[in-house]
Amino acid sequence: MKKHPLPDSTAEFDKMLTVSPNPHIRSRETTPSLMLCVIIALLPAAVWGVYQFGLRALMIMIVSIVSCVCAEALSALVLKLKFSINDLSAVVTGLLLALNLPVSVPLWMPAVGGVFAIVIVKQLFGGIGKNFLNPALCARVFLFSWAGEMTYFTTPKTALPLFSSDIDAVSTATPLASLNAGALPGIPIIDLFIGKQPGCIGEVSALLLLAGGLFLIIRKVISVRIPLAFIGTVFALTYFFPLGDQDVHYAVASVFSGALFLGAFFMATDYTTSPCTPIGQIIYGVGCGALTVLIRYFGGYPEGVSFAILIMNLFVWFIDKYTKPTPFGHVKPEKPKKPKKAKGGEAE
Amino acid sequence: MSLTFIGGIHPRENKNAKDKPIELLPPPESIRLSMSQHIGVHCTPTVAVGDHVYKYQCIGKITSGLGVPVHSSISGTVKEITKSVTPDNVEKQTVIIENDGQNTPDPSVRGFDGPLSELSAAQIIERVRDAGISGMGGATFPSYAKINSAAGKVKHLIINCCECEPYICANYRLMIEDPDAVINGAKLLMKALGLRRCDIAIEDNKKEAIRLFTKKLSGNQMFTVRKMKTKYPQGDERQLIFAIYNVMIPQGKLPADVGCVIFNTETTAAVFRAVAYGIPLCERIVTVDGDCVKEPKNILCPIGAPLSDLVDFCGGLVKPPKKIIFGGPMMGQAQWDIRSPVSKGTSAALLLSASATTEYEHRSACIRCGKCVGVCPMHLMPTYLASFSRTYNFDMCEKFGVMSCVECGSCTYVCPGRVPIVQLIRSAKVRIKENRAKKS
Ligand code: SF4
Ligand code: SF4
Repeated sequence: MKKHPLPDSTAEFDKMLTVSPNPHIRSRETTPSLMLCVIIALLPAAVWGVYQFGLRALMIMIVSIVSCVCAEALSALVLKLKFSINDLSAVVTGLLLALNLPVSVPLWMPAVGGVFAIVIVKQLFGGIGKNFLNPALCARVFLFSWAGEMTYFTTPKTALPLFSSDIDAVSTATPLASLNAGALPGIPIIDLFIGKQPGCIGEVSALLLLAGGLFLIIRKVISVRIPLAFIGTVFALTYFFPLGDQDVHYAVASVFSGALFLGAFFMATDYTTSPCTPIGQIIYGVGCGALTVLIRYFGGYPEGVSFAILIMNLFVWFIDKYTKPTPFGHVKPEKPKKPKKAKGGEAE
Repeated sequence: MSLTFIGGIHPRENKNAKDKPIELLPPPESIRLSMSQHIGVHCTPTVAVGDHVYKYQCIGKITSGLGVPVHSSISGTVKEITKSVTPDNVEKQTVIIENDGQNTPDPSVRGFDGPLSELSAAQIIERVRDAGISGMGGATFPSYAKINSAAGKVKHLIINCCECEPYICANYRLMIEDPDAVINGAKLLMKALGLRRCDIAIEDNKKEAIRLFTKKLSGNQMFTVRKMKTKYPQGDERQLIFAIYNVMIPQGKLPADVGCVIFNTETTAAVFRAVAYGIPLCERIVTVDGDCVKEPKNILCPIGAPLSDLVDFCGGLVKPPKKIIFGGPMMGQAQWDIRSPVSKGTSAALLLSASATTEYEHRSACIRCGKCVGVCPMHLMPTYLASFSRTYNFDMCEKFGVMSCVECGSCTYVCPGRVPIVQLIRSAKVRIKENRAKKS
C-alpha cells in the first residue's frame, strides 16, 4: 500500500518535479522588499516635510511618484523592457525626487522631472540596474534649468496654495547661504538638527533622516560605509578649513544643513550607482564628501551634494575595478623571467 | 569564540529532524546499486543475473585506476544488470538485487582480531579501500586515495562535523549517538597518516555534540574540539582550513598542499567499522526532510534503497513535492524520480513544495546591491562574473577570477534581483575550460 501519491509512470513525474541546478533555496529578500524598506525609511522625513511645509508638499510627492510610475510603465511597453513596476523602484525614485524639491515649485516640475528620471536616465540605459547616474538626482539637476523656481525657498509653516503655482510668499535664505558666506546661520543648531530651517521638502530634518538611515543599516539594506565616509569627510573638511573664522559650530552646522543627510543615506547609497566593494564604498563616500565641500565653497550653487554624487557616479566602474578584492588563495600569475640586469622593467 | 571565515550566509536552518534518533529502515524489496558512486573509474560487476549474493558481498570491483568497490547491502538474488541514467546525467551500469529477506551476511566478513593498535598504516589503508569507502559528505572521493596522497605530507587531520547545509542533521545524530565510532575512526586515520594530532570541527549550533566530545576528549592530548561559527559554507574545506589555521589554499591546489587533510564525520565512523569489524560501506544515515514529508527522520538505510521506501517510512507525503533533492538545498542535486536510489554520497533527501524551494524567475535583474560581493567566501565579485558571462565576455570573467569560484551558491542565495549567478558562472567556467583545451 503506497501512502504517497506516486504516479505510475515517469512521464507523470516529469510534469510534477522541477529538475534545476542548485542552489535550491533563496533568501526571502527581493528587490521589492528592499525598495519597500527604503520607502519606509524615508517616511518619517517625508511626514516631517508635510508637517513643516503644508499639504502642498504632499501634493508634490504624489505628482512625482505618479509621474515616475506611469513613465516606467509606458516606457517599458515602448522599449519592450521587463515590466518592473512591482519592484517599487519607480516609487523610490519619485519619492526621492519630491523630497529634493522646494515646496514652492509649480506642480508640472515634479511631473516633468519624474518622466526625465525614469525615461532618459533609467530606461534608455536598459532599465533597473543598468543606469550609471542616479535618476532622481539627474532629474533634480535637469530641473535646475529653471533655477529661479528651484532656489525659491519659503519659510516653514507658510500657507501655500495646494495646486496653483501662484506663490506670493517671500523667498528666504537657507542656512547654507550664510554658511557659504562664512557666517553661522541664525538658526540654533538644535533646530537645524530637528529640521526647522527652510529648504527642500525632505532634506531639512537630519534627525529623522538619521533615524531612517539607521533603520536601513540595521536591516542590512545599506552598509554604514558610504554615509559615514560621506558625512565624516564633510565634517572633517569644514572643521579644519572653515570659511571665515569659525570654530566647531561651523562644522556641525554644515553637516546638518542642506541635503547632506538625505544625500548620504539615501542618494549616495543607491545600489546601482555606487560601488559594490567595501573599500570602493569608502573611497566613493570620501569623494562625495570632498566634492560637496568644494562645490559649497567655490561653486555657483549653494548646495553641492547632488552634483558631488553625480560626479562620483561616473567613477563607480573604475572604483569597483581597482578595488576588486583579491580572490581567496589567489596566486600571482608567474611572470616570464626577466634578464638579470633589467631592474623593475616591464615583463614582456 | 567560534572560528570562522570571511563572507558566507545564514540560511534558515530548518533542521527539523535534529532531535529524531536514527532509525533503521525496514528491509527494502529490492535495491539498485550503481557501479560508480565515487569519483574515478566505474566498477565492473562481479556477479551475473541469477546469482545469489550475501549482505556485504562485493558485487563490483575496480580493475585498474582510481576507485572503490561496491558491496551489496542486502542478501538476495541479482535480478538485472542494466544501464540507467543517474541524476548527474551519466549512464551508469546498475545492479538490481531482489531481497530474500534473510539478511545473511557474507561469511568471509571478519573483524580484526587483536588490538587495533597493532594494525599498520598499510593494513588500515587496504581495509579502507576494500570496504569501498568514499567521502560521504557528497564529494565521494575514494578515501584510501586521499590517505595515500596525504600520508607523510600533511601535519593536520580535521574531522569535519560542520554540516553547514540547512535540513541535514545525519552527522549530528551520529556524533551524539555513536561518538566512539567517530573518535576511534579518527584514531585509525591518524595512525594511517602517521599523525599524532587531530582537530574535530563542530559548528556551534550543535551544542550537544560539542559538549559530548569535549567531555569525552578532555585530557586527551591528541584531540582538539574546535567550535566553528554556524554559517554556510563553513564545511567547505578551504573555509574550514582558513578558519582553523588561517592559511588559504592557493587556487587550484588541494588541502594536502597546505598540510591538511579533512574527513567527513560519517566517513570517519565508516573507517572504524571497516577496519575493526570488516564491514564494508553499504549503509548510511540519510536525513529525510522537507515540508512535503509527514514526519522528518534520520534513517539508517541500505545503500541502493529507493527513496520511496524512505518516504513511506516517514509516513508518506502530505503534499506533492515540487523538487526532490539528494543532498542539501545549497549543493544537492535535484532528482526526477522518487524511486532514485540512495548512494554512498547521499546525506539527505529533501522533498520540497513550491513554497519551500525557488523557481528560477525569468524576470531577473541585477540591482548592483553588492550583497553577493559581501557573501562570497572566495572573495570574488559575482555580480560582474554573472554579467560578463551573460555577454559571453569570458576573458573578463577570467580576469575577475571566475576559476576560483567553488560554486557554493551563496551569491545566488542572497541575490535580491534573483539573478542565476552561479549558473552563469558555471557556464562561463565550462566555456573557458573548452577554450583552453582547444588551445593546447
Ligand atoms: S546580489 Fe544580485 S542584485 Fe545584488 S549585486 Fe549581486 S547579482 Fe546584483
Ligand atoms: S558560488 Fe562562487 S561566486 Fe558565488 S559565492 Fe560561491 S564562490 Fe563566490
